[in-house]
Amino acid sequence: MKAPNPDTLKSVKDFSRQAITFAIARADGSDTAYLGCSDFKVYAADFSATKFEPKELYAHESYVTGVALAGTTLVSGSYDGKLTWFDTEEGETIRTHEAHAKWIRKVIASPDGKLVASVADDMVCKVWNAATGKLVHTLKGHKEKTPNDFASMLYAVAFSADGKLLATGDKVGHVVVWDVKTGKELGTCEAPVMYTWDKQQRNHSIGGIRSLAFSPDGKSLAVGGMGKVGNIDHLEGKARVEVFDWKAGKLTAEFPGDKFVGLVNRLAWSPDGSWLVGAGGAGEGFLCFFDPAAKKTLRQEKLMMHVHDFAISAAGDLITSVGHNRITVHKLG
Amino acid sequence: MTRRSSFCGSGAHSIDRRAFLGGAAAVGATVASDMTQLSVLAAPGANGALKKTQKRVILLWLAGGASQLETWDPKPGATTGGPFRSIQTDVPGLRISELMPKMATRMKTTCVIRGLNTKNGDHGSAAVTMMKGRRDEAALRYPDLGAVVAREMGRADSKVPDYVTFYTQTEGRSMAPGTSGFLGARYAPMELTTNNYPEFIKKLDGITDLDHLERGELRDLLGKQFGQGRSSETMSSQNEAYQRVRGIMASEKLFDVTQEPQKVRDRYGPTQFAEQVLIARRLVEAGVPFVRVGRAWWDSHGQNFETHQEMVPELDHVMATLIDDLSERGMMDDVMIVTLAEFGRTPSINASLGRDHFASAWSSTITGCGIKPGSVYGKSDPKGQTVVSEEVDAGSLFATIYSALGLDPDKNYHVGSRPIPLVNPGVHAIKAVLK
Repeated sequence: MKAPNPDTLKSVKDFSRQAITFAIARADGSDTAYLGCSDFKVYAADFSATKFEPKELYAHESYVTGVALAGTTLVSGSYDGKLTWFDTEEGETIRTHEAHAKWIRKVIASPDGKLVASVADDMVCKVWNAATGKLVHTLKGHKEKTPNDFASMLYAVAFSADGKLLATGDKVGHVVVWDVKTGKELGTCEAPVMYTWDKQQRNHSIGGIRSLAFSPDGKSLAVGGMGKVGNIDHLEGKARVEVFDWKAGKLTAEFPGDKFVGLVNRLAWSPDGSWLVGAGGAGEGFLCFFDPAAKKTLRQEKLMMHVHDFAISAAGDLITSVGHNRITVHKLG
Repeated sequence: MTRRSSFCGSGAHSIDRRAFLGGAAAVGATVASDMTQLSVLAAPGANGALKKTQKRVILLWLAGGASQLETWDPKPGATTGGPFRSIQTDVPGLRISELMPKMATRMKTTCVIRGLNTKNGDHGSAAVTMMKGRRDEAALRYPDLGAVVAREMGRADSKVPDYVTFYTQTEGRSMAPGTSGFLGARYAPMELTTNNYPEFIKKLDGITDLDHLERGELRDLLGKQFGQGRSSETMSSQNEAYQRVRGIMASEKLFDVTQEPQKVRDRYGPTQFAEQVLIARRLVEAGVPFVRVGRAWWDSHGQNFETHQEMVPELDHVMATLIDDLSERGMMDDVMIVTLAEFGRTPSINASLGRDHFASAWSSTITGCGIKPGSVYGKSDPKGQTVVSEEVDAGSLFATIYSALGLDPDKNYHVGSRPIPLVNPGVHAIKAVLK
């Protein structure tokens, strides 16, 4: 499937929201998306409605930082450490698990919808049976402490397109690639530039790997975050993307950022692997398109919000971005 | 001859030694000018007999402004509340951030002041105000808390410094220096800014102990001859400073954290802040009246929650360990722990998921001495934007600290003929939190 040209990107819808939206799940071809928000609530949003009024489905006890659609089942994760399964057809909560000992950062579904993966600051990735809620794997490959004896954080997780691989990325820039079937570690990559430890001026840290995405063939792994930061009071590091040949643990392309500052919170490849799109931000946000093969930045689009997540259609022609007090829809092609 | 030449040492040595004397005791001209202004101060040596069994203070200075919402005054569920939940403490009805589970089981020891409204969100001037309890006047520089405690609680015959401050990070250090104001250099802090050890108090390898003693005796002899028929506060202060030198030099081991059993070091933890707080405990145990441990830098304009997720558990652990340690040593009636900063952080959350400067409704804690343990004073509104009851300003907070240390906040110093109370006239301690 040939991907649309990033030059054709145009904003088609833009909505303001009181809450911060941290996560979105939108089935391919559907007008309905599910949102995880700072008001602790999970919403269903109909983008075809004449008046955009997301409907509250249920609530967690803290920020909802991950939503994933596995068929018609929605699974949400929160800073409350809980995962909730919700039947979107029946409109009912199916179950809630005390899934993690600390704050859940992201929840994703496998491409076939059979598995759900969650990562949290207990530094564990858990893989769940999406239908039954049964725990399939507990993946431990990230240190609980940073080299400076502070608690680390596990921000990012991604399935490969064939669902056979899973990648996890932590605060200090350590990435682990897992065999989904066996739960065994297959390889690691290091992106230490994503982590800034300031011993001299401020004695704490900022950064971390915030996004991961496998190329459609599963050979390359894109890693998103922020470059080294001078003043860690602010998100002032350049938005940064690195691409690895993960089997070799070798960096094959890097995009250190030349226009925007802040974190790259979400990454996705086009269906033909010809480009990679990253979104994130600081005070404001961006959508950036890269050509990893040519090591070239294709397009850098400013957004009026710090983007925390987006949903992208299978054809790569519709991107629904969510973030700080806004939701924006872009079309390509 | 060889010994004489070793006395001269390097230029760097002479500078360091002078710096030490200026910070830890008193030195010539600076002291002279300060002490002549401060007419009520007799030579400090003469005040020594008046001093009682002394209270001591460890100030945990959360430089840059820790968030009250992620520590002592959480607002879970409010739009301003952030992601962290509150947890019940051992004080009925008192909940604090889930980032502080260890302090949650020790709040019976501590008083939380939740109603601080200090009206100044500028790092530099707010830091000065919160170190002194009031703003300087154009022609009058007030002493900070450490200098007042050093003045009131220090002992003339003490072999340890009166006021020690750790501030190892560079950010914000110049905004919140320890300062003795009109009390003069005698009460200025010994400042540790590069590591945990004041290397300049070490006797040079090139000089023997006997040599050092003999030089002291020679200096005393010359001083006595010079002092015959003369009477001067400056001279007395200078003499006392030199008399204290050998004692303070002998206190170098107090700063050596390796002198503590490994299990005690493990208990505090391996971070720099933990080690400095352990050294602070060693210092107050040895009689140092005031130690500030500056923990920078909390200024979380971006990624407030990540920053607090990293830093609050350290504060929680170290503060809880310090309370336990002091309690086990039977020192809680005599040692006060204060957590304070220049301000708190905004309830509103910016686009970088940060919180900005905020002085209108923030929090501090006081533990030990004459403070009523398990008390809470002040209440902010449901979003944490304003103080709705029991508002406290910097002056009242300081009056409360002084009162809990057994000091009369209305006690006057005199600068020239002008009486200067410890806090501004009309400012009162919060009686509700005093034993």
